[in-house]
Amino acid sequence: MTTQVEAKGPVGMAMMAGVAGLVISLGIVFSNLMSSGHASFNTGSNGVTWGLPVVNYVFFVLTSTGLTFVASLAMVFGFKEFYPIAKRCVWLAVVTLIAGFASLALEIGHPFRMLWAIPLSFQYLSPLNWMGVFYLAYLVLLLLKFQKVNANDWDSSGSRTLGIASFVAVVIAHGTLGGVFGAMIMRPMWYGPLVPIYFLLTAAVSGAAFAVLITYLTYGSAGNMPEKVRNLMAGSMSKVFAAVLAVVILAVVSRTVIGLWTNADGMQVWDHVVASPWYWIEIVLMVAAFLMLVNGSSPMLPALMVIVSLFIGRYEFIISGQLVPLFKGSWVPGLIQYTPSLTEWMTTLVAFSIALAGWAVGEKMLNLAAAPEGKNS
Amino acid sequence: MAKWGMVIDLEKCTGCQACSTACQMENNRLPGENYQDVLYYTEGKQPTPTLKWFPRPCMHCEEPSCLHVCPTKATFKTADGVVLIDWNKCIGCKFCMIACPYGVRFYTDEKPLIEPNIKDVFKGSGDLSWNPPYKGPQQDNAHGVGIQPNGVVSKCTFCYHKISKAPAGTANLTNEDEATREFTPACVRTCAPTARYFGDLDNPNSEVSRMISSKKGTRLLEHTGNKPQVYYVTGSGAGGGAAVPMGRNGINKV
Amino acid sequence: MNILNTLITRRRFLQAAGATSAGAVALGSGKIGGFATLSEAQAAAPEASGGATVTKSICGQCPARCGIDIYNTNGRVHAIYGNNDHPIANGKGCPKMHLGTYMLYDPDRFKGPMKRTNPNKGRNEDPKFVPISWDEAYKTVADRLNNLRDKGESHKFGLFFGRGWGATDVGLTIVPFGELYGSPNAPIGHSSICSDGSVLAKQCTDGNASYSSYDYRHSNYLLIFGANFLEAFRPYNNNLQVWGYIRGVKTPKTRVTYVDVHMNQTAAAADRALLVKPGTDGALALAIAHVILTEGLWEKSFVGDFKDGANLFKTGQTLDPASFNEKWVKGLIEWWNAELKDRTPKWAAGVTTIAEDLITQTAREFGSTRPAIALFERGAHVHSNGVLNGMAIHSLNALVGSLFAEGGLGYQMGPSYGPSPANAADYMDDYAKNGPHKKMPRIDLKGHEDGYLMAKNMIQEVGKNHLSGKAGYKLDTALFYMTNPVFSTPNAKNEWEEAVKTMFVIDTSPFPSEVAMMADIILPDNTYIERYQDAPTYPFQGFPLAQLRVPAIKPLYDTRTFGDSLIAIGSLIKGPTSEYFKKLESAENIVRHLAKGFEKDPGDNGVKDFETWKAKGCWFKKPYVYRQVRGEFLKWDGKGYNNPMSAEDVKKDLLMTDSGKFEFVSSYMEHKKDWVLAKTGRDPVKYNMPHWEEPKYTGGGDVHFISPKTAMHAEGRGGNIPHAITLLQPAAGGNKGALAEIHPSLASAKGIKDGGRIKIKSAVGEIIATARVTELTRPDTIVLPFEHGHWAWGRWAKALGGSHVDEIVPQQSDRISGMCNYYTGKVTVERA
Repeated sequence: MTTQVEAKGPVGMAMMAGVAGLVISLGIVFSNLMSSGHASFNTGSNGVTWGLPVVNYVFFVLTSTGLTFVASLAMVFGFKEFYPIAKRCVWLAVVTLIAGFASLALEIGHPFRMLWAIPLSFQYLSPLNWMGVFYLAYLVLLLLKFQKVNANDWDSSGSRTLGIASFVAVVIAHGTLGGVFGAMIMRPMWYGPLVPIYFLLTAAVSGAAFAVLITYLTYGSAGNMPEKVRNLMAGSMSKVFAAVLAVVILAVVSRTVIGLWTNADGMQVWDHVVASPWYWIEIVLMVAAFLMLVNGSSPMLPALMVIVSLFIGRYEFIISGQLVPLFKGSWVPGLIQYTPSLTEWMTTLVAFSIALAGWAVGEKMLNLAAAPEGKNS
Repeated sequence: MAKWGMVIDLEKCTGCQACSTACQMENNRLPGENYQDVLYYTEGKQPTPTLKWFPRPCMHCEEPSCLHVCPTKATFKTADGVVLIDWNKCIGCKFCMIACPYGVRFYTDEKPLIEPNIKDVFKGSGDLSWNPPYKGPQQDNAHGVGIQPNGVVSKCTFCYHKISKAPAGTANLTNEDEATREFTPACVRTCAPTARYFGDLDNPNSEVSRMISSKKGTRLLEHTGNKPQVYYVTGSGAGGGAAVPMGRNGINKV
Repeated sequence: MNILNTLITRRRFLQAAGATSAGAVALGSGKIGGFATLSEAQAAAPEASGGATVTKSICGQCPARCGIDIYNTNGRVHAIYGNNDHPIANGKGCPKMHLGTYMLYDPDRFKGPMKRTNPNKGRNEDPKFVPISWDEAYKTVADRLNNLRDKGESHKFGLFFGRGWGATDVGLTIVPFGELYGSPNAPIGHSSICSDGSVLAKQCTDGNASYSSYDYRHSNYLLIFGANFLEAFRPYNNNLQVWGYIRGVKTPKTRVTYVDVHMNQTAAAADRALLVKPGTDGALALAIAHVILTEGLWEKSFVGDFKDGANLFKTGQTLDPASFNEKWVKGLIEWWNAELKDRTPKWAAGVTTIAEDLITQTAREFGSTRPAIALFERGAHVHSNGVLNGMAIHSLNALVGSLFAEGGLGYQMGPSYGPSPANAADYMDDYAKNGPHKKMPRIDLKGHEDGYLMAKNMIQEVGKNHLSGKAGYKLDTALFYMTNPVFSTPNAKNEWEEAVKTMFVIDTSPFPSEVAMMADIILPDNTYIERYQDAPTYPFQGFPLAQLRVPAIKPLYDTRTFGDSLIAIGSLIKGPTSEYFKKLESAENIVRHLAKGFEKDPGDNGVKDFETWKAKGCWFKKPYVYRQVRGEFLKWDGKGYNNPMSAEDVKKDLLMTDSGKFEFVSSYMEHKKDWVLAKTGRDPVKYNMPHWEEPKYTGGGDVHFISPKTAMHAEGRGGNIPHAITLLQPAAGGNKGALAEIHPSLASAKGIKDGGRIKIKSAVGEIIATARVTELTRPDTIVLPFEHGHWAWGRWAKALGGSHVDEIVPQQSDRISGMCNYYTGKVTVERA
């Protein structure tokens, strides 16, 4: 039997904030989309094609990926000390995935047409399709896995298989997402065979950060945590978090150096990237978070810092990859100017609200603290 | 079946933009949404600055990178070599716009370049995103021809509503030949200096094949592997003001 | 408050958008407020079953008058392409041509006749137009004119027109109207804000008061001064065709040197661009002439030669006129002695800022390549020294023998029109012949000693003279046809804009405008898609060519062709005037009469009457019948240039000067010697020769301010065509309004950033503009195309705002030509 642990953190408040955020953001987004369609976005054929909603999408689906990695540490790879947060991570993977999809759906011209047009005329060469297929499969597997865990079936062969399957599905899914960008040789800032790996690393650190932050939010403080959770947070979780973060910092620095060095047409944007204070905020937050983690301080603040840093990083990746205009001549003589519109920012709020409210609902109704009894050493 | 292609002679192009406006009116484009655009680049310093321009339609690539990325096969290549969009299938994901190296795809729902929004002045209804009183009689959503619906991507069709009616076996589509005039793409038909040639790339005796051979036709951004069906020739000697730009933009690395 | 809201809210008719977006152009949309006229007018729109009907007509967006095919399917005009049977268009189009459909369906068009009910006039005064019937509109105007005539004040009626379009709306209507009614001010044309500088330069040298026709296709060298061949020079569409041929097809390829103040498309496409200091083109031309003479490159078969055959032209040394045998020129040695001998490339380099070696190279190329053409337009002559610059440049054509040569330049022949339905001279009453108006000067003081004795028109002076009463009276009533001087004249805000507030104003444009904003009566014309109109060609290739505008669709609204409106008004004028106009009947009737001339003289394309003219869209007869070959003038005999012309024939038909030669020493100007010397203070030795005079820069600033025309101008309507706005200034990237090109050195000195707002100031005003920091323009020159800044031109123009360049152009005109000095102003610039 599992023990129902009363969450002492601000779950109720989070739920209210999430629902309120959702109402406000969806209200604004829908009213603007109804009145002026996607013209309420600041995207454009002569400007940035994929704007902030795509940033949200990538941010959240990769977070979902990372959360699955964290859950899999216990459920697939047998690091049992991660069991106390495994169920929560699976649930969070579900809600962040939905948050990501929601943002994307608001960005697509015909989201409902997609439902029949993709299956009926499937383009097997499109990375976008495989990304959709595997994320969809991943979502189904996640839900099935969650159903098993929720029924306290942690360890049956079916449950284990589902866990492995969802892990495999998400690795492939994020790989195809990497392909969506990495295969674009006409956009050198994105191009590269290792982009899926880069996404894997950043997804992992994103998942770890969310796992830590949400755990702290659940319990309110380390003091309120059950001992196993507290030990996990201060111990293995912090170490894993720090280790992955270190690799991500290296990856970001490496991308920057290569980007600044390369002369390929399109890479000029790196000058712009490093000239932006946001880039340095991103770096400083990550490095500071890493230093705090290795110095043994509470991982909660580093988690928050890393989440902010990663969001900046996703924005930088998606948007900067499009800032060098392709054959616009004097119509767009310099870099493309892009600032997200209010409607676009509201899609960000939609995604965060879904994640927040979704988590809170799960925390209240689905006993996310559950762990297999006796299995955690 | 022909493989339609275009040759643009940069030695003759005057950069007048008549191709752009002929296209705009034939295909009912929004202001600033130029299927066919002429792009201008400035380099150098006074008193010897360089101004050059570059006419740029859709390249209708042999290996179109926009095609492979489309999740619904809304972007397709016709048997006669034209890259089109089926507006009935397009979901508006815009991946094709990302994947096109030439920047020649356009999403319907965007902020207008200038106010008031012409879409509000000539309001559309039903399937039409707007409805200009001067719109052409052709409307063929399955081939991406006519006024585009909301939420889809559109692009140059090589004036598919014209060229698809050309008699089989036609080698050249040109304004000069009365028999092919009405089948000639708008930009080719109107080009005052006759810098544009259109015809069957598979026919070795077509004017486009001859020009590619004799004037050493080149294609844009060969490194992307897209293999455009639009070729550029520069003739002999010094060209005019038209030229292939050194990069896709005027931005230099520091 | 703006005129658009006013006109839209005050209109009685459907908005174009509403009427047309429902696809109801042909059907009408029912009767609104009891005004049945519109739906009746629309009900009969042509219905084509199965495919488009193609109407052969002519474009109306620039003076070139290209033949166009207008496609109409089921009562909807949806495409315009060039007419393949038309010698200028040849089936091709310029960027404006295709946008003509937009002009037809412009949602801001006037929908019917209206009168003003708010007596106050101003930019912010709602005219409070109310619809009236055509009968009431005509009667109001006619009553007013009859009343003036009864009082002996008919001279207080002014009729101002812009682009004249042949007989239907100008030749047989506007011009006789003034004669029969009796006003020196009917009409006053717009040529002095257009290109009179070149007309006077030609008139002073070769005796032809005209623009030239050009045979570019056979020329091997073009030396172009400030005529933007690939952006704005007429006939634009044909220029583009010529360019493709001479640069991409012809062997040998024609070489081109282009002179302008900034890097533009023509400069970029040329072999050599010479970016000259504004107003100094004449110095460059004089130095080229100097080199041609000192290096013995002149065309001896046309110019003549030294008696002993040796070249005696030595820099700085005068010569005995008797040492030279002149053939078709007059005064070469006098010119050399008085002016040319010191005009070395080195000297010109100091004036123009162009490197000495480039000037020499250009001169050698031009002088040693035959045939060669030196051509110029506004860039060179819109200055205080404009006619002198023009004369210097045109003299180069004489030196290399291009006049009337194959691959050279000539003048335009007229068409074989039939007689008018009525002869105005037969309808002059005693008042018309001897009324008090006969003693009145024109309001613009054109042809007046106190004004501009040699000018053709002085429309830019009208506002000023009206306000000051300088002509001895003020205008009472003014009618405008295709011109908008309230916006498009220098210092317009302080002069014309104020003047029209105290006139009874009648506007006839189909579209809103600044004149219409000040109008008391609006008589909206049909657009060029909806009307008949004849148009003999502007100077093209010399052979006669007459085009016909044919309606491609019934008028969308309750509008009427201007010619018909003027005929209706004329028919209400007391006395025989009304008889004359009743005889004219209608613009279409005039066209039918003109076509009768083709019965006797059928065109090359088989056009022999009205029906064939209408079917083909043009009548023409090739070739140009005159040709000068190595100093011999020949005339076409039907098979070849076989008939030699006598010196008398040449004087009568071609070189129409006193001497019958090309005059480096102008007899035309000599006839006005005292006046010229008094008004210009020029050196009596060389006042009538092409010579260098410093341009008088106005405005008091330190930077030249140049406001060129662009390809998308469309007689101004480009300012309200959304597609045209987004293509206005491609080289500088101006797609949301015009950008002020400013050099980086000037920008950094003033702290101006690319895309930043700047304030441009002159002595007469200041404007705000958006800067484009670019190497395209000279460090001492700001270039800002004229187009925008309208305050009553339509909804896009209004929303755009933009900079109205004429608000900072001071009023100054070339004393000889009366040409308004648009490009002579100097300004200061700062961050706004």
